[in-house]
Amino acid sequence: MSLLEIKNLTTSFSTEQGSVQAVRGISLAVDQGEIVGIVGESGSGKSQSMYSVMGLLSENGRVEEGSILFDGKEISPKYFDGNEKAYEKYMESIRGNTLSMIFQDPMSFLNPVLTIEKQLVEPLKNHRKIPAAELHQRAVELLTQVGIPSPEERLKQYPHQLSGGMRQRVIIAIALACTPKMIIADEPTTALDVTIQAKIIELIKELKEKTGSGVILITHDLGVVASACSRIYIMYGGKIVETGLADEIFYSPQHPYTQGLLACVNNPESDNELQPIPGSPPDLISPPAGCPFVDRCSQAMKICKQYMPREKRLSETHGVSCWLTEKGGI
Amino acid sequence: MEQIQNIEGLQLTPDLFEPLSEAEKNSEFIAAAPRTYLSDAWHRFKENKLALCGLVFLLIMVVMAIVVPMLSPYSYEQMDYGAINLLPCTEHPMGTDKFGRDIFVRVMYGARISLLIGFSSAFICLVIGVVYGGFSGYIGGKVDMVLMRIVDILYAIPNLLIVILIMLVFGSNVGSIMIGICLTSWIGMARLVRAQVMSLKEQEFALAAYVLGASTPRILFKHLIINCMGSIIVNVTLLVPSAIFTEAFLSFVGIGISAPAASWGTLANEARTLIESSNPIQIIWPILAICLTMLSLNFIGDGVSDAFDPKKK
Amino acid sequence: MEQPILRVEGLKTHFPVGGGLFAKKQVVKAVNEVSFQVMQNETFGLVGESGCGKSTLGRTLVKIYEPTAGKIEFMGRDVGSLSGQELQEFRRNMQMIFQDPYASLNPRMTVGEIIREPMDIHNIGSPKEREEKVSSLLETVGLKPDHVRRYPHEFSGGQRQRISIARTLALDPKFIVCDEPISALDVSIQAQIINLLERIQQERGISYLFIAHDLGAVKHISQRIGAMYLGSLVEVGESSELYHRPLHPYTQALLSSIPIPDPERMRSRPGLQLDGDIPSPLDIPSGCPFRTRCPHATQRCAEEKPQLRQVGSSQVACHLYE
Repeated sequence: MSLLEIKNLTTSFSTEQGSVQAVRGISLAVDQGEIVGIVGESGSGKSQSMYSVMGLLSENGRVEEGSILFDGKEISPKYFDGNEKAYEKYMESIRGNTLSMIFQDPMSFLNPVLTIEKQLVEPLKNHRKIPAAELHQRAVELLTQVGIPSPEERLKQYPHQLSGGMRQRVIIAIALACTPKMIIADEPTTALDVTIQAKIIELIKELKEKTGSGVILITHDLGVVASACSRIYIMYGGKIVETGLADEIFYSPQHPYTQGLLACVNNPESDNELQPIPGSPPDLISPPAGCPFVDRCSQAMKICKQYMPREKRLSETHGVSCWLTEKGGI
Repeated sequence: MEQIQNIEGLQLTPDLFEPLSEAEKNSEFIAAAPRTYLSDAWHRFKENKLALCGLVFLLIMVVMAIVVPMLSPYSYEQMDYGAINLLPCTEHPMGTDKFGRDIFVRVMYGARISLLIGFSSAFICLVIGVVYGGFSGYIGGKVDMVLMRIVDILYAIPNLLIVILIMLVFGSNVGSIMIGICLTSWIGMARLVRAQVMSLKEQEFALAAYVLGASTPRILFKHLIINCMGSIIVNVTLLVPSAIFTEAFLSFVGIGISAPAASWGTLANEARTLIESSNPIQIIWPILAICLTMLSLNFIGDGVSDAFDPKKK
Repeated sequence: MEQPILRVEGLKTHFPVGGGLFAKKQVVKAVNEVSFQVMQNETFGLVGESGCGKSTLGRTLVKIYEPTAGKIEFMGRDVGSLSGQELQEFRRNMQMIFQDPYASLNPRMTVGEIIREPMDIHNIGSPKEREEKVSSLLETVGLKPDHVRRYPHEFSGGQRQRISIARTLALDPKFIVCDEPISALDVSIQAQIINLLERIQQERGISYLFIAHDLGAVKHISQRIGAMYLGSLVEVGESSELYHRPLHPYTQALLSSIPIPDPERMRSRPGLQLDGDIPSPLDIPSGCPFRTRCPHATQRCAEEKPQLRQVGSSQVACHLYE
């Protein structure tokens, strides 16, 4: 069984304009010791699906349907029979413990008035009964692990005294504090410069090797997943439109969205013209009945407008939801 | 993903696989109906029942204040020694005072003065505060420094003292009370607008207007002030009751509007002497009017602030 | 592309910070001695990491900030001395597109008002002509004329950036400073905007200064590219030259840290990575600003600041090439 198994997860947000269906029935699985990428544009539901897993949806968000199995236990709020307290309590016991998250913006995650050490030992105090005397030693180890030089001094500093890349390393150290089984990284490099970004991705890969955790890397950048992930899910309009091994996604993409995404990404080593995908992403207040990509797809057919394509398995690992795959059968 | 949409029975026919024409796609389509900022705010305001009640009450009050003194057979200063200190009856719904004047008419006439003072001084404060704070915040630097120190000095002078001095110099009338109230009340507005303008002027839309060659007043009013309208309106809804209250307080202690003219404060003051004698009920009416008006203004203020800033709860 | 439309010489933009009763007054040297030229109908790309001063440079060019020293010459005239009518004319010809499509449009104005505003300010055309121009500009950027009554928040990021572009085009400028116009957008939208800007350039003969932190993005639109580090230009060269034969160690590092959407290539690529972070612009290292992170740094780099010099077809500021 997989470490994390999501089935038919549906999440919506109530807004004044109506209900926004951010995640519309996605299923995915992540094993121990692998890095899985979830790629999508803003508004594709990639972050909200993982916030649903972590129980971190904003107040107006709600998991409508679906099951979330983590480490053999059902952690979807639905499963707690509407007992919100029990759900919150359980989530608090695993969050930052066996299941932790790395956020996009390190500055807003760190508390500006606490030293790095205080924030670093917080999860250890909450979840592990580590004697106070050992806490400091553990904090030093953690900073060394994420490659921060002179950790003793850094521990005494405050977040604003660190650079952006340094802060992101601290965030990673906090996420690692209790040696989690699973780390969800939400755009961990988006706020960073390219030269720093490469190092952080390298660090995440290294740490996965060392700890054997499962990692979900949420990103909009195909370049980032190419270097880090073994498997990839492509999300669009709240749905997973294609999934496969990295090589399958990059070398034989089947969904027109994946193909379009690959054609318009900046590859500094090729001189190809950029091929933009026309139009804008769909409005998820009234999502299209059929394929969410239909209005921007160059190969759209009549059926795409009316019916959502089912997932077709092309191999053990490669799946795609597109009517084009069924066209040959007619 | 494994969950297949309910299309198992779907017959896949070749015509379903015809290409979709460009016209059938709506790629730059906006689904939601257009809504403006104000209509959004009004929509949220309506949801707040208390605020709506407050607004209705205030409107009734305004209409009555205008209409009642005009239509009533009694005027606010007409005395009738044959009917002094009457209890409420059909002819005098709120009774009469010690000179036989109709209290209902006098309370409504008082509403004219109190509401007039409340709204016009709030309006004056709005104009002064927005212009002063706006320029101070937008120009910044030394100008801002000087303008803000002036405000600090004004703020340091005891408010009541100024009002009393002005009343002594200009006499007790509506005009001097308004001057007294406005002299310092605009400061809060100016500080608020200044703070907002200072943060907004760094926004890219303000820079864009600057690069386009827009003049300072244009940037200030068309781009910056309009974007702090929400908090300005909220602030105004707080200024109105505070002005009404100040006036009532001054009149009650005897340095505001003087008889025979009537504001709610004056009425309460006049009725005060009768509390222990024959007709203690007289004081109820002006106080009731003040309380209900304050209450509805506060409800409105609450509703407005929620309507313009839905995130703040 | 015969004569420069914009000439920048020895430009410095410094900001004083702090300086209270007890604190010592410090100076942020955001732009420090930058010289370059942009030709007519050319796109000059400017890349660098956050804090390198590229946005400050762009803002100094459109006169949001006043330069501390140096000279900006636009269409043959010194920009520093402009005022009144001449300044308004300068503004008509020199425009800017901003980074954040959510912040660069006034949320209380309709799209029609936003695009018409530049013409209102400069009193161009009759009201009817302005309306017509708004419609045609909306079509130019791929939106529908009936969008005029909508408010910015109803549009997606890419659509808003197109509205921004339409607004700048309302004045028919000769030069547009594009300050990271695509970095806040989704990948599939970025290419739309780049292609739109390229098409507009071909149709109207506009010159661009295209600022970005991502070398991949500027490559497709720029003829020449300058790499900036801590307020100084470290390399300027033809676009393809800079990509295939980067000279400065910083440019090399920037290029090699761009993730490539190709797993094979990523596995085999040699990792030339930079150590450490960018120093604070309050405290720029002596000599070459890059020496604290440079793998080739020598004693000389600490003592003497290298100047831009011609090497092949590029210009580079590095002691390695002497």
